[in-house]
Amino acid sequence: MKRAAALAIAVIAYSLAAWMVAPGFYDGFGPPQPYNFTCPPPQAGANIKPSSGHADIPVRVGVSEADSAFTDDGQLVMGFLPGAFVVGGKTTITVEIKPLDTCPQPAGLRLVTNAYHVTASAALNPSKPANLVLRYSNLEPDPAEIYQASDPGGPWTALPSQPGQPFTIVTKQGTATFGYFAAGYKSSSPPPGSVTVGGGQILPILVAVLIVVVVLAGLPLAIMRRRQSGDRED
Amino acid sequence: MAQQPGLTVAALALGGAALTAFALGWPPERLGLGTSKFGLRLLGGLALGAVLLLPAAVRPGVAPLLPAGLAWAAIAVSIGEELAFRGALYAALDDLGGAPLAIIGSTSLWTAAHVLSHPTQFLGAVAAAGLLLALWRWACKDLVAPVIGHAIADLAL
Repeated sequence: MKRAAALAIAVIAYSLAAWMVAPGFYDGFGPPQPYNFTCPPPQAGANIKPSSGHADIPVRVGVSEADSAFTDDGQLVMGFLPGAFVVGGKTTITVEIKPLDTCPQPAGLRLVTNAYHVTASAALNPSKPANLVLRYSNLEPDPAEIYQASDPGGPWTALPSQPGQPFTIVTKQGTATFGYFAAGYKSSSPPPGSVTVGGGQILPILVAVLIVVVVLAGLPLAIMRRRQSGDRED
Repeated sequence: MAQQPGLTVAALALGGAALTAFALGWPPERLGLGTSKFGLRLLGGLALGAVLLLPAAVRPGVAPLLPAGLAWAAIAVSIGEELAFRGALYAALDDLGGAPLAIIGSTSLWTAAHVLSHPTQFLGAVAAAGLLLALWRWACKDLVAPVIGHAIADLAL
């Protein structure tokens, strides 16, 4: 009885602790830190506004150095090869990254990350595209591509992309222009790797099935044990 | 590794295997891996999985599942962690100072092991999950259910 009570208290303590952080207990397969949303989904809990970023890239002997620009929260990282910029006599190239205050929802697309505006004091050299990495939240479906636009109103064009580290998406061939960037998927097709059951509510269904299985299988076991102990008493 | 998700999976699977190595040399019964009442152990695992996932399941909104490519790594890591923390470490601490030391010690070290991989605000939930699994190990003298429950939770989130 003492053991059952200890387990019950542990279940309650766990439920309270896991309820306080979204999505709850995870074992290192979620993103390393909660995603900072411009427009947080209801299940996000406490949310911090996304950060901006700034980089000063030195130019040596007319060639910009290899460098990267990133937001302070690491949600967007852009990598530049040596000579990635058309420097035009500049000695330093400045790159600015700003999260948009709004969340564009272009027709036919579902963007799952914040949209970021990336600008620079020099254009990119088309033969040396910049590599782009976007982090996304485990509270949203996986994005299929990184999208780029010259205006937040669109049109948004897909940049061929691939998964990077868990919960990041990376451009395959990079981008040769600056502008607005976000990751998402075509809303006409399910997100990659997703299992859509019950309108996407697979986790509640999974837990309900587990509970039903435990109850249905547990009842006969409990009855059998009671009968066995009753037989012993007789 | 950023460009090679396959390497991430391999590294995680290797980590799981390395954790499993901690359990080598211990008799299965001392690790809680007996086969008696196996149906009940299995059922306990499903129940623990349901408890671990319940807060995420009842939270409003869609909680996505783990990316399919990480499934095998998740299983390897959850088995490895259970064998290392609630298996070998629990048994060693139990020999050293009894059940209280085994429960508190294995939970503390399990939480500490997640400090680098988890932001601070998640450590309360990690510690509470570790305590629940360690108490199950103590109350039922069983590690099969924690392995199953932990794997279910890792596969889902």
